[in-house]
This record gives sequence, C-alpha cells and structure tokens, in this order.
Amino acid sequence: MSLALSTLLFEWRRYMAAVMALALSGLLVLAMTGVFIGIGKGFTAAIERSSADIFIMQPGAKALFSGPMGMPRRFVPLAYNHPEVVEVKTLDMSGGNFQNIKNVDPTATAADRAKQGAPRQKSVLVNIIDTAPGSVTIPRDYSEELVEALRQPFTVAVDETALTPLGVKLGDKALFNGQTVTVVGVLRGYPNMMQPTIVMSRDSLRMLGQAFEGPRVGPLMLKIKDPARAEVVVAQLNAMGNGQWKAWTRQQLADANAGAMFEEGILVIIIGGCVVLGIIIGVAITWQTLRGAIMANIKEFASLRALGVGMGSLRRIVMELSFWVGMVGVGAAILLTWLLSLLALSNAVIISMPPMLLIIVGGGLIAISMLSGLLSMGILKKSQPADLLR
Amino acid sequence: MNKHTKVHGKHGEFALEAKGLVKRFKSGRSYVEVLKGVDFDARHGDLTMVMGPSGSGKSTLIAALSGLLRPEEGRVDALDVDDLWKLSGGRIDKFRLDHCGFIFQGFNLFPALSALQQVTTVLKYQGLSPEKAKKRAALALEEVGLGHRLHQRPAALSGGEKQRVAIARALAKDPQILFADEPTSALDGENGQVVIRLLRRAATEHGAAVICVTHDPRLEAWADRVIHIEDGVIIDDQRRTPNPEAILASH
Repeated sequence: MSLALSTLLFEWRRYMAAVMALALSGLLVLAMTGVFIGIGKGFTAAIERSSADIFIMQPGAKALFSGPMGMPRRFVPLAYNHPEVVEVKTLDMSGGNFQNIKNVDPTATAADRAKQGAPRQKSVLVNIIDTAPGSVTIPRDYSEELVEALRQPFTVAVDETALTPLGVKLGDKALFNGQTVTVVGVLRGYPNMMQPTIVMSRDSLRMLGQAFEGPRVGPLMLKIKDPARAEVVVAQLNAMGNGQWKAWTRQQLADANAGAMFEEGILVIIIGGCVVLGIIIGVAITWQTLRGAIMANIKEFASLRALGVGMGSLRRIVMELSFWVGMVGVGAAILLTWLLSLLALSNAVIISMPPMLLIIVGGGLIAISMLSGLLSMGILKKSQPADLLR
Repeated sequence: MNKHTKVHGKHGEFALEAKGLVKRFKSGRSYVEVLKGVDFDARHGDLTMVMGPSGSGKSTLIAALSGLLRPEEGRVDALDVDDLWKLSGGRIDKFRLDHCGFIFQGFNLFPALSALQQVTTVLKYQGLSPEKAKKRAALALEEVGLGHRLHQRPAALSGGEKQRVAIARALAKDPQILFADEPTSALDGENGQVVIRLLRRAATEHGAAVICVTHDPRLEAWADRVIHIEDGVIIDDQRRTPNPEAILASH
C-alpha cells in the first residue's frame, strides 16, 4: 500500500472534513439533478415501463412531452405494414378532476360536518392501458390481477403515494369529472410529485367520453416479434415512414425524456448554481483540510527530503492523497444520495441516479479534490530538512 | 573530479571535504555569521563527532555539508562530486538519495506506516523493486534489533525503538555518508547506548563516514575523531582511539 493511501486510512479522522465536504457537494448536485430528472420520470414511468419496443412520433418531437404529439390515425395500419410488428396501439393520456367522496352521517350536526372538511379535489393525470391480455400499453410490472380489476368498467388504480393527497383508499368510490369511479388497485413505484396520477382502461375512458376518437391519435406504441431487433426495425420503420414519422426504441425515448427536463432554462440555472456552490465549498474545505493534514506530517516529509526524496515525489504523494480523498468522497456522495432517494421515494419524490450523472458528478468531485491538492501543494515548501537540524 | 574524496574509499580516505564555509543568517537588520570560514573533512570508516554548545553552528555545518542549506561562501567536495553546491537542487537531492543517510533528534516517522514500510518507502524512491526493498528493509531492521517489530506502527514503539527504525531507514540505503544530529538526546542512557553503538558499527562495518553532531560529551568514547566548534569556528580537532565497548549509563 502506498504512503498516501496508508496515511488516508490511518488518519481518516483528519481527512473526514474533506471527504464530507466532497460528499455534500456531490449530494447537492446529484440530488438536485436527480429530483429534476425524477419529476420527468413521474410523468413518463408508465410509458417507459410498458412493453412497447418501439414508439412512433411526429418527426419534430424531441421527447415524449417535447414537440408535436398527435399523429393521423391512418399511421396505425401503415405501421402494421412492417412484417415484424405484432401490435400497434395509440398512446392516450387524459386528465381530469378527481374528488373523493365523504360518507356523511345524516344525523351529524352542522358543526361536526364542518369539522369533517370539504371533499378533496385534485387535478389528476390519467394513464391509459388496454386490458387485452399482454397488450403493448400495459407496464411490465402490472400483475394479472391488477389488469383484471381494471378491466371492469369505471375502475381506476392509484399509486400508493397518491392515496393521501387524493384522500382515498383501496375500494373507495370517488368522482372523476363528476362520474363515479372505484379505486380497485394500488400501485407501487409510480410516484409523481407534481401531479397525482391514476390509471384506467381505454374502455373506461371511452365510457367517460374522453378517449381520442377523432382522426388524430397520440404517439404509436409498437410491439415487435423480437425485441432484440428493435434498433434494426426502427431504422426500417424510419425508411418506410419516408419522413412522415420518426421511430424510437424505448431506450432512446427514455433517454430523450430524461434530457428534456434540461431544456428548461431555469433548471439549468438552478443546477448550475448548485454546481458552482458545490465547487466553492468543496475546494475551500478540501484545500484547507489537505493543507492541515500535510502540515501535520511536514516533519516526516522533511525527513524524506533529507534522505534525498525530491520535491516532485512529495508533490506526487500529495496528488495521490487528493485523488484517494476524492474517491472516498465520491463513494460517500453516492451513498448519501442513495439514502436520500430512499427517504424521498416514500414521499413520492423520485431522485433519479442515472449512471451517466454519477460518472459526471464523480469525475467532477475527483477534479475538485485534485484541484485542492494542487492548491495545498505550496505548503510542501515548508518541508525544509534544514529546519529539522537544531 | 577532485583528487581527495572518493565514493568507495578505504578506511581513512576522505569522503567529505569542505573549505572556507561561511553561513550568515539575517537577524533583524543585521546579519549573524554562524559559520566563519570553517574547513572540515570526514573520512570513510570514521565516526566523527562534532561537538559544541548550542548556537555554535554545528547543525548549520552539517546542513551545509549535506546540501540542505546553501553556504554563502566556501565549497564542499563530497565523494565523487566536485563542489556539491554547484549542482542543481534536483542533482543535490539525487546525491543525497544515492549516498547520504540522515538521523535526527526527533524521529520523524510517518504515523501511518509500519516500521517495515518506513524503510521501504525510501528504498522505493531509490528505484528498488518492492520485493527487493522489503528484503533489504527487513535486513536493516534486523540489524538494529527490530526483527520482531517489523509491522508495528510508531505509536506502538518506544522512543529508542523509533530511533532505531530511523537508523534502519538511513542505513538500509547503505549510505557512504551518514549524518546524525543529536541522535541520542531524546533517549535514555540505555537506548542512547544502543544508538551510538549502531552508529559506530555503521562506520566500522559499512565503512561509512559517520558525522555525528552532539553536545553529549559521553559519546566521545565511541568516536575516532572529535571536533569542537564554538561560535562558528573549529577550535579543536583531535583523533582518538574509540572504545566500542564503552558504557553510556545514566547512573
């Protein structure tokens, strides 16, 4: 084990401040970015987890909610022209007013009724599935029982984190746009902090009079024979479409959806602010900690100098030390963010940690640490072996 | 190439020769001359003791001799180097890495490293492979009687043992010149004796030129040569016959 690594492990308390500063800087940026990606995920989770291998959207669309959405209904049979396509369904989303129903005791006094409060009313997003077995619009983690329950008319399912805001529980009746629906399912893993989401079947939606029946439909969701060939089929579909549409694999669309959040100028400013703040805090604390730690061993460094170890080698020790401090900081940052994301998830807030984000932030933290190492290098000048002679 | 000093000299041949060393320190607005034209030499196989009261310039002298502190005037010929102070800083470092050992009053061991690692760290900078460095370090630690404490960190070692690790660190390089600055003054009599005997052995068995600065007159018994320095001037230079069996006891 190298001198730098042994020192870091043995005197870890001395380096704790630097590691924590890096971890908190990392947490700040990771959590902020993660929350924003997570907000987007709240809207697209059901679609990204569907069994659709391919999506077809307007040529100008940059992501699911970015760019033109609707397409002519005649594209549905056109998509079937590809021999490997087995199912085409249109993506339908709706929205409405959701209101819980309170059981009112007719004998209660006016004061008691007032205490009970008004029924809760919320604007909700509606995800639509087709209840035919194995349909392309059903998310892969939905159980048979859930689909069966939703197959009944006027039924809805709600994510567990939306139960409290909507004021309902399993089995409750509620009003959706003034018509009675029954909560027959509770989902897990579909939180949306911005807007509660409910799921219903396309048939229920039609009976409620809200399905797209006209000549224009939402993006197409396609299932193909061999999902492994999705990229090939996408290329062929794009050729067939002749510029009228653009096909995406599920992963391409998911990546585009995650990135779409950052087209918002304000988000970039907020995250940019966090990055700047993180760098300032990280560098300042790491620099001073490293400086102090080197100063504490300055006599030992001086004795190495006396024995002929050059200044360049000592600088390399400092840089190696900063690198390891950075590595530990990255680990701590990821751990803290992960713990925070668990806590957040129980409150319907998704903190998304895509590997690319971890790599970028991790690299940034190591760069901060190395920069701090460079800054604290000056203190090595104090390792004058002549000072050891008295 | 100078004619006098040699890298691998026989006992009694010059290892180090300095002429007219002058070193001044700034003190307020005036300068204090700490070394006033000192001529000095040290020979292979000799334990040369430099003695003097504090402030006499003895530490400054070895700093100037070893390339740690540049003198204002004078020259130092060391081993095969003609005027050490004409070399660049990097070359002086390299010279010390290749040829010099150092022992300080404080032990200056890295708290995180075991005794073995303290020694191997320096050896690795000499370009030894990790295995070779380990073997040589273990040998050096055995020589100072710490074969059983290879994996202890400084916190687990006594003062005497720490100084022995520092000596092993200096001796493992097999230096031709060994500088020691008050090596026994932080130690009790018994440990002091162990240390001075090790220095004696480095001179006798390894043929190193050992230059030991001290103000402890009891150490004289082990020296081949005793130089007294006072106020930056050498006032006395005697050769004597060392007694390796001398006893340094505090009681």
